[in-house]
Amino acid sequence: MTQEFDSVPTIIGDFLNFSRNLVELPKKITVPHEVKIGSCPYDVVYEEDRIRMLHYKPLTSKQIQIPLVISYAIVNRFQIFDIDPKKSWIRHMLESGFDVYMIDWGSPTSMDKFLGFDEYVNDYLDNCVEYVCDQSSVDKVSLQGYCTGGTLATVYSALHPEKVKNLIATAPVIDGWKDTTVVSNIARNFDVDKMVDVIGNMPPEFMYYCFSILKPFEQGIEKYLKFFQNMDNEKYVDSFLKIEKWLAETPPIPGELFKQWIKGIYQENLLVQNKMFVGNQHVSLKNIKMPLFTQVAVGDHLVSPECSMPLHYAVGSEDKNLEIYPTGHVGMIASSFSQKNVLPKLTEWLKKRS
Amino acid sequence: MKPQSDDMFEYYKHTSMFWNDMIAMMSSKPSSLMAVGPLRNLTENIKKISQELIEANQEIVDFNTQLVEYYQHLGETWIGAQKKVMAKISEIPQDAESIEAYKRVWIDIFENDFTQMFDNKSFSKNYNKLVTTELQLLKRWNTIMDVMLKSANMPTKEEINDIYKELFTLKKQIKKINPQKRTRVRKNDSGI
Repeated sequence: MTQEFDSVPTIIGDFLNFSRNLVELPKKITVPHEVKIGSCPYDVVYEEDRIRMLHYKPLTSKQIQIPLVISYAIVNRFQIFDIDPKKSWIRHMLESGFDVYMIDWGSPTSMDKFLGFDEYVNDYLDNCVEYVCDQSSVDKVSLQGYCTGGTLATVYSALHPEKVKNLIATAPVIDGWKDTTVVSNIARNFDVDKMVDVIGNMPPEFMYYCFSILKPFEQGIEKYLKFFQNMDNEKYVDSFLKIEKWLAETPPIPGELFKQWIKGIYQENLLVQNKMFVGNQHVSLKNIKMPLFTQVAVGDHLVSPECSMPLHYAVGSEDKNLEIYPTGHVGMIASSFSQKNVLPKLTEWLKKRS
Repeated sequence: MKPQSDDMFEYYKHTSMFWNDMIAMMSSKPSSLMAVGPLRNLTENIKKISQELIEANQEIVDFNTQLVEYYQHLGETWIGAQKKVMAKISEIPQDAESIEAYKRVWIDIFENDFTQMFDNKSFSKNYNKLVTTELQLLKRWNTIMDVMLKSANMPTKEEINDIYKELFTLKKQIKKINPQKRTRVRKNDSGI
């Protein structure tokens, strides 16, 4: 009983601190939707339909000859690669001397519902690579793909190997049957034909549902409790708001692309079995003979390591490297951990081959 | 006419459809006389709306069943997790730090149990059935809206879809004809 009374002043003190911080919070920080994401300046050098390609301004006087093109995921937006200067993937690559381009897939409208793998890989991605080759006077680029962008980069490398010098696959979605995440459990029984027939594009609201079933209590409750506990910490609040804004900007996915994705990767698992066709062209992972660097995260609850790792074994490359990190899907690209552990290994590997 | 199926639902559906058609046929002349101007179209197509509503009955029943099962999954998992939490917190000492420990236990147990539920095949099957039924209902709603749009002399979803498809095909053809498909632009857009 005495023990219970002893804790009362602490609880009251915590409550009063919390109330004060809550009242003062709006005075300290900007309105969430006005938060600016990104720290590295860039030029938009190429546009086609909804897509844009960004060229980041160099941070070193001399640059590595082979440019790096990043194919971002079709879910969420590219800003996560440069969300905070201290955790910025882009900044790290620029400071290491790389010439960095980023593909922003944009926000498709209902008119774009017929776009599929063929248009994304053989038109958009190919045009971006061609553009970079022209500008840099090179025949090949280093291509990095993250998450679903990793799948696009993989398919591109299999269909256009002559244009890819090095392939970096970061948490790519490859083997849908081996994926152990709750997303794959939903995707396997999903009536994607009906969804595309009735709605057209995959709406962001459905993606939010998928996100909400990934660690619902850590991400849905604990994260916000932590925010309230740390709301007097300006850096924490700034970082929190940037991530929240990024999470809230999920674009729709073109219906046809989404259909091919769910069926081809999660339901029929065509890619890893070398049974996939894109624009009447057969996609064989054995055609990938360029150096390959695969990065997976043990704690990835969106794309499980079991789903990404088969790429390493399915390709025809002799020069290949598989790195497994004790972090999560986003932690692998935008965290202090990635700055210390993931990026140094990648830059060292890539410099040797560029 | 006696319905073939013994299923009560089919019987009611059949009866409703029968009278819906009969009323539409019998009232076509009077309604044509009464409906003038732009609303005439709506009056003539109103049968389609009642047809869709009758057809939707079975789907509404299915949707409700699946929704109940969905909430049952959530509810049972919640109760199960809460029981585990209650069993575990008796081991936590009752002091100021215990609030943090209790929170950790609660989140860990709930996270684990709910992830297991989302990972369960029966959850996935029911959830996807629920979404499919919802989409089917949405499709019927679209059809009803199309009738309304037509009456307002507006393009229907199907007509807009045809235009999108046509545009998509044309764009592809143009890209094939014109190999200089890339439009290069140069501008600073980063705002930094």
